[in-house]
Amino acid sequence: MSEVRFRNPGWAGNTGEFDLSEADVRGTEYVGERALDGGHPSVAPSLPYMFVQKDPEAPLFEGPYRERFEKIRGRYPTARAALLPALNLAQELRGHISPETMDEVAGLLGLSDAYVRGVATFYTMYNKRPVGRFLIQVCTNISCNLCGADDVLAAFLEHTGTELGETSSDGNFTVAEAECLAACGFPTCVQINSRYFEDVSVDDVPAVLDRLKREVNQGF
Amino acid sequence: MLSECFGDPRARTVAGWKAVGGYEGIARALEIGREATIDDVKASGLRGRGGAGFPTGLKWSFMPKNSARPHYLLCNADESEPGTFKDREIIRWTPHQLIEGCLVGSYAIGASHCYIYLRGEFFESTNVLARALEEAYAEGLVGKDILGSGVDIDITLHVGAGAYICGEETGLMNSLEGRRGEPRIKPPFPAAVGAFGMPSTINNVETLAAAAHIARHGGEWYRQWGTEKSPGTKLFCVSGHVNKPGNYEFPLGFPLMELIEDVCGGIPGGHALKAVIPGGSSVPIMDAGDCRACTLCYEGVEAAGSMLGCASVIVMDETSDIVKQVRRMAHFYAHESCGQCTPCREGTTWATRILQRIEDGRGTEDDLDTLVEISEQMTGTTICVLSDSLAMPIISSIEKFREDYLALIRRGERVGAA
Repeated sequence: MSEVRFRNPGWAGNTGEFDLSEADVRGTEYVGERALDGGHPSVAPSLPYMFVQKDPEAPLFEGPYRERFEKIRGRYPTARAALLPALNLAQELRGHISPETMDEVAGLLGLSDAYVRGVATFYTMYNKRPVGRFLIQVCTNISCNLCGADDVLAAFLEHTGTELGETSSDGNFTVAEAECLAACGFPTCVQINSRYFEDVSVDDVPAVLDRLKREVNQGF
Repeated sequence: MLSECFGDPRARTVAGWKAVGGYEGIARALEIGREATIDDVKASGLRGRGGAGFPTGLKWSFMPKNSARPHYLLCNADESEPGTFKDREIIRWTPHQLIEGCLVGSYAIGASHCYIYLRGEFFESTNVLARALEEAYAEGLVGKDILGSGVDIDITLHVGAGAYICGEETGLMNSLEGRRGEPRIKPPFPAAVGAFGMPSTINNVETLAAAAHIARHGGEWYRQWGTEKSPGTKLFCVSGHVNKPGNYEFPLGFPLMELIEDVCGGIPGGHALKAVIPGGSSVPIMDAGDCRACTLCYEGVEAAGSMLGCASVIVMDETSDIVKQVRRMAHFYAHESCGQCTPCREGTTWATRILQRIEDGRGTEDDLDTLVEISEQMTGTTICVLSDSLAMPIISSIEKFREDYLALIRRGERVGAA
């Protein structure tokens, strides 16, 4: 299997019997390329990506990222409200949110270090330590679990040769367990960086990983 | 209605959405005025689709009139109830359906700003919605003087960072404001003191999408579907052990067994039905007997001993390991508890440990009584309903599937594999 198939985009009355490309399902054609400065202020700061390449030393914030940060600050009635989008932006650049990053963001927004640490540690999606080029999050909550998600998680661990929450020795993969990803009709759902892979079975795991390895080589 | 364009990539654009009657709803609302729009939604009997089922028109009418303070509409797109996957479909296939709903809602409550709080995990769907919103701005459908009406409505996307509790309305407001997503004590209610201290209304994605259609066609039109107490159509998210899981839109009052057996092609491998969780993981579990006569509307599921919630039907066949699944749910709630209230913070963790002990074959019969006792103390004693949401599946599973627990406790026998 060369591509991960979308067997089931799951709309009413058409489940399982359809002919759509991956681009159709993901909407990539419609979305197109998004500028790093994010475009319109109403949407710009809301678009954190998860990139393959991460730069833990990246400055906060320069160039298009500075523009996005300014757009963030301009769109809420309070400075505090910009905190989550600013942390998202920092993670997009650096790949994780270290305590030092939290303090830097605090300084940018005029909030206390302790306050920002309290908020940042509340949210699961802020990686508190570095992750691999691909962060593989396997949903093991009830609907996926009923359909064998534990085995899919085990398969990812086996094929990447890592422990849960750890990063493979080549730096490519970090495998983690995720709570419900809101794709329960397409078990097992796996979030890999910014993308959802749905209907992933144990047998699909090697092909998914091969695809990711190709993407690293292609400089994605 | 809601799902008509799912699977059709053309419906993602403004042109494609207009081709199926899109943006006629907001045009009509602007024509008939605020009060009449609220009256339409009241007449439609639309109930909140986020789980609680509160009448939407009534909620909108709580907003202060003639107040000079800014009003906010908050759209809850933090879909994270296990078993629920309808809002993501609305967003990724029909983003303009949601944008139009947000316009109708904002206009009706007098809000000039709407924040859509999206789940952080929804990168792809957020991108689709972002592109759609940019298109809507460019077409003059959102922003200043929408459709030449003199009304200003801005819509801003706000992305969360992974916390189930931010789907609770006041937790969402705290998170939007850049705080920990801890729910607030009510009163004051959001209509008086909400986001940024201003009058706010929070609606679910599906609610607002439905409101767009109601604004277009009127309230009575919506009542052609559903029951007296649960009018309209609903997206049913079917997951678990069925041949064709997915989102299915039906009028409320649709029979549960027909959904499972006919629409979803029954249970794989010819297995028998064991249990159904009808409304996302936070509601009582039903056994096969409860399911037989159950109809999927707010009052119908209640009569069968559970709650419709957000109509996320999780189907479990005879091979299901109830103890394992309840333990998995408990683990989820323990992970997602915000930690403010002691009964929830401690209770969810205790329950997880006890359930794990039982699953590992080290439980005692007294553990079942302890679980029930903890669950009772977790009910109605906290700021939000997260702890109640775990208490219900625990109590109902012990009541209905006691034998499964006892088989593990007495003989170390696991019932079911999945």
